[in-house]
Amino acid sequence: MSDLALPLPTESRRARVDATFGMVLFIGSWSMAFATLFLTFLVLRHRQPVWPPEGVVLPSLPLAGLATAVLLASSALLHSAVKRLRAGQPGFAGRWALGLGAGLAFAALQSWLWIDVWEAGGRPDTDMYQGLFYMLTWFHALHVVCGLIALGFIQAGALTGRINAGRATPASSVAIFWHFVDAVWLVLFVSFFAL
Amino acid sequence: MNSLLIGCTGRSRLPARAWLATLTALLALACAPSLAAQELADRWGPNAPASANGGRVDSLFWLITTMISVSFLIVLVMLIVPVLRDRARPGHKAHYDEGSSLHDKRFTAIVSVIVFLVLDASVLVMTMKDLREVVWNIPNVEKGAYQVEVLAQQWAWNFRVTGEDGKFGTPDDIVTINTLTLPMDRPAVFNVTSKDVIHSFFVPDMRVKRDANPGAINQVWFKPVVAGSYDILCAELCGYAHYQMHGTVNVLPAEAFKAWEKEAGALALTAYDSNDPEALWAWEWKE
Amino acid sequence: MSGDHIHAEPTGFLRKHVFSVDHKVIARQFMWFGLVWLLVGGIMAMMIRWQLAHPGSPVPLIGKLLYPRGDGSVPPDGYNTLFTMHGTIMIFLGLTPLLIGAFGNFCIPLMIGARDMIFPLLNMLSFWTVVLGGLVGFYSLFVPLGAAEGGWTAYPTLSSTIGTPGSGETLWAIAVFLIGASSIMGGINYITTIVRLRAPGMTWSKLPLTIWGMFFTAILNVLFLPVIGSAMILMVLDRSFGTSFYVPATLNQSGGGDPILYQHLFWIFGHPEVYILILPAWGIISDLLSFFARKPAFAYKVTVGAMGAVTVLSAVVYGHHMFTTGMTAMLGESFMLLTMIISVPGEILFFNWLHTLWRGNLRFTTPMLFSMGVIFVFGLGGLTGIYLATISTDIYLHDTYFVVGHFHLTMAASSLFGAFAATYFWFPKMFGKMMSEKLGKLHFWATIIPLTIVFCTMFISGYAGMPRRYYNHTDVDYLRSLQHLNVITSVAAFFLGGAQLIFAFNFIKSRWWGSKASVNPWEVGTLEWTIPSPPPHHNYDTIPTVVTGPHEYSHPALKDRDWISQSEQLPT
Repeated sequence: MSDLALPLPTESRRARVDATFGMVLFIGSWSMAFATLFLTFLVLRHRQPVWPPEGVVLPSLPLAGLATAVLLASSALLHSAVKRLRAGQPGFAGRWALGLGAGLAFAALQSWLWIDVWEAGGRPDTDMYQGLFYMLTWFHALHVVCGLIALGFIQAGALTGRINAGRATPASSVAIFWHFVDAVWLVLFVSFFAL
Repeated sequence: MNSLLIGCTGRSRLPARAWLATLTALLALACAPSLAAQELADRWGPNAPASANGGRVDSLFWLITTMISVSFLIVLVMLIVPVLRDRARPGHKAHYDEGSSLHDKRFTAIVSVIVFLVLDASVLVMTMKDLREVVWNIPNVEKGAYQVEVLAQQWAWNFRVTGEDGKFGTPDDIVTINTLTLPMDRPAVFNVTSKDVIHSFFVPDMRVKRDANPGAINQVWFKPVVAGSYDILCAELCGYAHYQMHGTVNVLPAEAFKAWEKEAGALALTAYDSNDPEALWAWEWKE
Repeated sequence: MSGDHIHAEPTGFLRKHVFSVDHKVIARQFMWFGLVWLLVGGIMAMMIRWQLAHPGSPVPLIGKLLYPRGDGSVPPDGYNTLFTMHGTIMIFLGLTPLLIGAFGNFCIPLMIGARDMIFPLLNMLSFWTVVLGGLVGFYSLFVPLGAAEGGWTAYPTLSSTIGTPGSGETLWAIAVFLIGASSIMGGINYITTIVRLRAPGMTWSKLPLTIWGMFFTAILNVLFLPVIGSAMILMVLDRSFGTSFYVPATLNQSGGGDPILYQHLFWIFGHPEVYILILPAWGIISDLLSFFARKPAFAYKVTVGAMGAVTVLSAVVYGHHMFTTGMTAMLGESFMLLTMIISVPGEILFFNWLHTLWRGNLRFTTPMLFSMGVIFVFGLGGLTGIYLATISTDIYLHDTYFVVGHFHLTMAASSLFGAFAATYFWFPKMFGKMMSEKLGKLHFWATIIPLTIVFCTMFISGYAGMPRRYYNHTDVDYLRSLQHLNVITSVAAFFLGGAQLIFAFNFIKSRWWGSKASVNPWEVGTLEWTIPSPPPHHNYDTIPTVVTGPHEYSHPALKDRDWISQSEQLPT
């Protein structure tokens, strides 16, 4: 985070480890927040006699499945982009842009999912199922938005040359964060559609 | 005195007699705060328990008090001795000791084991006994339990007993607000819940307390053994008039209770109004 | 990043004093912030004690100002707000910024021999987030329908719209979320800094115990603040979006939620929070006792191990806050056993502190007095915890003044004493001025005596069965006899509050008119005392190499003095 504001000409190996350590620590910490929400989901779900409860508006599975695929693709693209950047091979900016595009597509699909449920009459206060659905997706979407902004910054950095083989840590840190957002979505998807 | 206190380090090799004397002195000293606490409790403390098992809580309380008095006294002595003896002065030097020798480690281990066995284990054993025999061991109707449904609300206690038919939710149920009448020498079992926010059913003289959670039923029991009136308080913050949410338990001897039950039952039948939704609360008894 | 490079000191006023990324400036900001909030929370405590001593009579001096509609006495809902905000402010805005924010920031880079925190910008962000949280909390006092009234624990459904319809409670939850976010940022920064930026030679076994305390606290912060953050999100959704995660089906048609779920989430965070506040104090006094006893800290490694054990155990004992909620026998007994086990590392810490003093060469400076005060106060508070770990006695004592006395002695008084010890000790390094020792000692005695009376009398009234959070206990017959006791408690509390004015006077006078501090006024060996007071912007001209442990006092090889700096080699 801080390295966005304190640009250094080239980064040492030490600085790279520092930043990655901090990022991983943050993700470890923040997983506790998501863990709490998923725990809430499990506890309240088991209070219901049947799940999903009769007559609730279910979010569209194909749409959610597509969103999952898109998000996974964007993670993979970012991963390969960072790998290329570190190796000094060309193609970082392009792959990153594709990853960013996939991220935006996910955001669009997520919005579609909400509109779908909303128009069918599903509101956060209609029943426990909708409450949990909106709670988890909203909180996740907040991270998607933050992630997209960060991806955008890196994209800008890649285009102006501030992100380069000698200074790849911001990109790899943001990519780690995006993988985390991806992983949380997988848990969310499984919770709502597979369990 | 000084030589005795040095014995506390466990470092100087004092004869066993000195250790014994030290321990006795400590115990004697420990009795002082414990006795003082007893004296204070007589003056300020709660009333004598009016339930069959309330005394167990009190004796556990005093067991812990005695033990922590001893512990705290040891701490105080080990704090005061260096203060008096080891203050910085010209020519005086601290004793260099990193505390990492085998002897120190062994000493730490032994003290830890003693603390756990004496302080924790004895309390644990006694508590487990109390829990198994009293707290978790809730009597049922076959064992002569007198059942009471308690519905807490902001800011009152609603009580419901079955009347003569032994069933809840029938017209002869005796429903009272803030006043509860119980038979003496018979275990009273409560089903506690709440209409709105969390309350806590607290009868200090019986030494019991149980939260009244909305949407769930909790069980608690005690056996009143002394006739009289006792306060019921709310012990969980429940809003504006939390402090005013108190009621009374009247414990009556068997005959007097029978008379009351008869009178109140008759009154309940005449007062019963099937159109009053407020009065129709009741639930199936939860064991 | 900032470890090896010397950044030029910024010259603009804003970058230098307001939006600074220098850990020393941020530490001072946290310190002022925490002290101001301690004052606000302290005044609230005084008003609470006034109400308990003289129920329903006008509060002197400020009553008319705060409650202009009545006769200047505290109304019942105002009283609920007072203790709710007193708790929240003292924990989140007073002690946390002072003990962890100020001394964590100040001590960690200096004591491990670094130029700054590893993420200076994140550090600044952490401070401004807590400021924002404080502002939201403060604003909540003035919204229509009143501020938060659900207690600092804010149990639903009292904290749901059923119990508190006003927006105050929602703002309270948002404020707690923001403050939590600030602590998480701080925690990440502390851990990464301690792991990555230690000077050469500063091995884990040469780390001052202050840093160990901060390290364990940071771990707990990073792990458990997110839990309360999520609990607050769920509360805000319940209050503002009509969900019912904490509202049972009996109260809400979209229901099916569970108020007890919140209690679990709250205490999963809430119990570690107690240790978040006390671990830094333990670390600090472990160091200070050794510094002023001129002796090594007794069994350094065992002390670290015991603090680590407490850190781990703190995460698995939270259930003892919920014995009366109707938890199952199995769960209750497990939590009781685990809670009891904490007494073992606790006892080890006590023995190590007392052994550090034993046969030392004790210098009774103000920091030393406050460190010994922690032993006394935490001894009282910790031992009385046994009553509350024991289910049978806890059922009777739960939510009475006994609990109030217990947790004030442990998490409030002990951490506050730790913070005072740290303030008197590091003030010369922070501000380059000495604090008055005479006033400091006066402050100590004027604090510890009334403090002991305040909380010990609470034990008595609690044992008598006086429930906490009662606006007016004289409404209950049998509590009326405790009125004299409550007056004693309150009078002692007013003395305790008044004694803090000595500190405020000493602090402000010394800050601007104190005598200049030398490089090492206390003659101690940790790294921060090898550089000028206050340290230059980049702390160390050259990063020192550490060769000696932090507590080598009165080493037999030392001839003309009894201390040695961590960057000096012991003579052979």
